[in-house]
Amino acid sequence: MKLAIWSYQAPGHVGVSKAAASFSGIHCVLRAPKGDGYGTIMLAMFERLGVVPPLSISALSEATLAGAAADLPILLRDVDARHNPEMIVVTRSATASVLQEPLDGEIAMMAPGSIKAEIFQASAHPVRDDETSAFALTTKELVAHFAQDVPRSDGPSVNIIGPSLLGFHDRSNVESLRRALDALGVEVNVVLPLGASPDDLRRIGRAWVNIGTARELAQPTLEFLEGRFGTPWVRELPYGEAGTTRFLRELCALCEIPADRIKAASKDANLLWYARTVDAHALSAKRVGVFGTPTTAAGIARTLREELDMRVEFVGTYVTAWGPWLRERVADITDDVLITDDYREVARAIDRTRPDIMFGSQMERHSASALGVPCAVVSPPAHILNFPLGYAPFIGYDGANHIGDLVNTTQVLGLEHHLIETFGPRNQGRFADAAPEQSEVPSPAGTAAASAAVDDGAPQWDAAAERLMQRVPFFVRKKARNNIEKYARERNIAVIDEAVVVRAREHVGG
Amino acid sequence: MIFAKPRFATAVLGEDDLSGADPLTGLLPLVETIVAEHAPSAIFLASTCTPEILKMNVSGCAAPLEARYGVRVYPCRLDGFDSAYTIGEDHVLQSMLERSPQTDEKNLVVLGCLSALEESEIRVECAAMGLPVPRFLPAESALDLPPVGPNTVLAPVHPFLFQSCAWAQRERETPMFRSLFPYGPDGSRNFYETLAAAFGKTVSYEARERETWAAVEREVADLRGRSIAFASDALVELPLARTLRAAGARVDFISTPQIYKKFHAAETAALTGVEIVERADRFQTFARLSELKPDLVVANLNIANALEGMGFTVKWSTELTFQPVHGFSSAGSLFGLFTSTLRRHDALAKRRLEDAVPAKPIDLDFFRVGAKARA
Repeated sequence: MKLAIWSYQAPGHVGVSKAAASFSGIHCVLRAPKGDGYGTIMLAMFERLGVVPPLSISALSEATLAGAAADLPILLRDVDARHNPEMIVVTRSATASVLQEPLDGEIAMMAPGSIKAEIFQASAHPVRDDETSAFALTTKELVAHFAQDVPRSDGPSVNIIGPSLLGFHDRSNVESLRRALDALGVEVNVVLPLGASPDDLRRIGRAWVNIGTARELAQPTLEFLEGRFGTPWVRELPYGEAGTTRFLRELCALCEIPADRIKAASKDANLLWYARTVDAHALSAKRVGVFGTPTTAAGIARTLREELDMRVEFVGTYVTAWGPWLRERVADITDDVLITDDYREVARAIDRTRPDIMFGSQMERHSASALGVPCAVVSPPAHILNFPLGYAPFIGYDGANHIGDLVNTTQVLGLEHHLIETFGPRNQGRFADAAPEQSEVPSPAGTAAASAAVDDGAPQWDAAAERLMQRVPFFVRKKARNNIEKYARERNIAVIDEAVVVRAREHVGG
Repeated sequence: MIFAKPRFATAVLGEDDLSGADPLTGLLPLVETIVAEHAPSAIFLASTCTPEILKMNVSGCAAPLEARYGVRVYPCRLDGFDSAYTIGEDHVLQSMLERSPQTDEKNLVVLGCLSALEESEIRVECAAMGLPVPRFLPAESALDLPPVGPNTVLAPVHPFLFQSCAWAQRERETPMFRSLFPYGPDGSRNFYETLAAAFGKTVSYEARERETWAAVEREVADLRGRSIAFASDALVELPLARTLRAAGARVDFISTPQIYKKFHAAETAALTGVEIVERADRFQTFARLSELKPDLVVANLNIANALEGMGFTVKWSTELTFQPVHGFSSAGSLFGLFTSTLRRHDALAKRRLEDAVPAKPIDLDFFRVGAKARA
């Protein structure tokens, strides 16, 4: 047994369902207790589907446990009649697999021709596979099942592998790549699993090159297609402006098209220019932490480091199997690579490094918020906020622009706040006095609790020292506070008074 | 995802755990960590469906864990087999009832999670009627357990607390309390009057009911004559439908996950003539709704947006368990749940925003961003 207070990834059956239900003309049937069927709700809510989701649950009940005949065939016939899919992918949750129901037998016993759809049993293991590996495997299996020998397309073309329903900004990501590919004159053959039909999959071999948007989700399919059709795939990750250019250069080489077409594709890219504008110069002093899926962590960290010259304190991923890959990818950026699926370890890393901006998932947003650290959400696990109505890509040139905007909107504009604090209406022209102030930093109570949880025995502050700290501009106050507490701890000082603050400032310059 | 302080942890089973090992071995270090890091006053040791299937004796671990760490451990079954998510509360309360002290005293226990506001109304009314001071389960502390015995009046406030009441009846000979659930002015009146009767008193809440109806007239006026159908799975459908009818709305169709014949008898009796379907088939429900064309459909999340896509006005059913709905003082908030959705729909419709270009429900083609869709 392993203690998990929260997990980044869902169980394997959710990965299978996400992949299978994303295809067009394929319906997914999950054999599971009703309580495991929350994937349908996520699909309906997050994607705001105005139709019945292509995912149905064949609910296990206590009657099933008592040996009652399963009702799977009834549901299969129902799905077949109501949704008219070309294929029904059947999968089961861990609970259902422990039950060892003879699903094969039940399916085999259905009268031939009683349903039109082909039935396919996904082979992802309900206990051993996690959401990521189950998704990757199912996508590959369905591709392998349908792929046929077809002639190559006349002009250069690509398949885009990885986007799905419930994916992270995936529809926008595909659109962003498409815009770049259109400018290059490269045809998009199939996007999958998102919206790809069995017919699309049959002609997947037409493409000259394959692109994986999320490497951890696409890798088995990329390798399968390379083996089956000899199709090469792009190694670079399409993150950032220069990163996207590298990505497209590699693609152009593989397609044997002139790289000067990239100019047209990048005409609206603004990130590198933004990096040169004086407004962005301060970014060199800004420290960041990056945590997420392996691909987003690698891509975002490189963009922030190389293109914006920000200081990357740590990079990490919760897809632990991909830890070594990430470590290699970011070897030139940082040695501090955090590979863990325990969100508390990530919270501790944020607390330890106190970055100016954290880039992470919705969970890091929570952890960072408790510490008063601003956070940009750039990776799943997602929240309904990550299913925007409009266009908000993270990859390609448009994605690079979006990342720049995120940096801008997330960072605390220290000078602005300080000026308001000093000259704003509250002070009516007076300089900040010793009056107790409203908190500008989110959730100071949470901060205290979080710090206390991390290290016990924090030194106490006396009233005079507290008053003194109110004179410190709030956007550096937290950092100064930490530095002074660290200074006090190292010297076994139990109570911080004005003298300690003064001395500490000499030492740490905070 | 509100994550101020985690109060929920999972003991994730690995493949090793599936081979029949004693779950206590695996649980000991985990509980030790939880006790050390979070210092809870009680732990609810929930077992899900997998241990159930494996016949893993998780509840048997409660006593040794409690003895070892000195923290109250309530074992409860929280598996996904239940027909409604609300039944989880039933299991949790039953596990607490099992630890409640025995008594022969004539006392009053109000069963079910309530907001402070709802609790205080019940406390005030009991005092006014001269009934014993009610004990609540759950109370503020997870260790505060009311005594329960054959003379206890155990009054459930939610329609999904059947198993707890059945347990008390079986194990403590506590009589099953039968009244309408205290939803809406009509249900609240019946609830308080039945409560009084259980203590041998005759009290009339006729005037109070009338006053409440008058007080919530603004909400009720917007419900009168409107038709409402239930296609939800919160197990609160019956009392809501009943009080909506009392308010003058038309309810033609209710699908609900489960009906407990005797436990729900007062509610079903008040709904005579209404089509009530247990464990309805999704597509049959769609077909029935298309025939009935109700003004408002109450539906659970996985079909709510699909129903909006079909042109219905939908109330999201999960919200029904978030809002205070019990007692006279919450009647306005109860009806407001429905009128707010109807008013919003009416306000948008009146502006004729979709006359030129109707809103497009997101369908699966929206995601066909591949080459073929564009061509």
